[in-house]
Amino acid sequence: MAKTIKWEKDFDRVLTLARAENKMVLLDFFNPL
Amino acid sequence: MGAVTYPNEKVVELIEKYLVPIQVLFDSQPLATKFNIQWTPTVITLDEEGKEHHRTIGFLAPEEFIPSLMLGVAKCHFDREKFGKAIPMLEEILKDHPKSDAAPEAVYMRGVALYKSTHKADPLKDAYKRLLAEYPSSEWTKRAKPYSLL
Repeated sequence: MAKTIKWEKDFDRVLTLARAENKMVLLDFFNPL
Repeated sequence: MGAVTYPNEKVVELIEKYLVPIQVLFDSQPLATKFNIQWTPTVITLDEEGKEHHRTIGFLAPEEFIPSLMLGVAKCHFDREKFGKAIPMLEEILKDHPKSDAAPEAVYMRGVALYKSTHKADPLKDAYKRLLAEYPSSEWTKRAKPYSLL
């Protein structure tokens, strides 16, 4: 099964994860239409 | 992006390695206002404190999106003077994606990062020479032209 991006939805949680994992943040604004 | 770029295996691997991804609707508040979102797709690279370092607007295919993401990560390090982390990432862009739109900026940023970490002018002159030779029509070549006088 192909790997997919595990998108987060909560901005504060993302910053917490980024600090813990020593990573940067990818913030994608999208339009579903 | 959702149909072509994000399902790409190499894109998934790169994001997994360097980034925590978050996807929100274009009008999601307070983020849309905070980051002044006027069009989609808008993809922003932030550091772990939420500060913006790189932004792209519009569709990018995987072969352009991957080096753009790498440039974003490198700029996060560069802006915080972590040149030891920025330079290898910039060199990886130039090694693996030399034909990408991100490459000329990577040459420029690498030159500046080397200058700022060594305080020697040679990396700036070398960056201009490389830009002139490999990317003569790039805006980054024009921006680096003064370094030819150093």
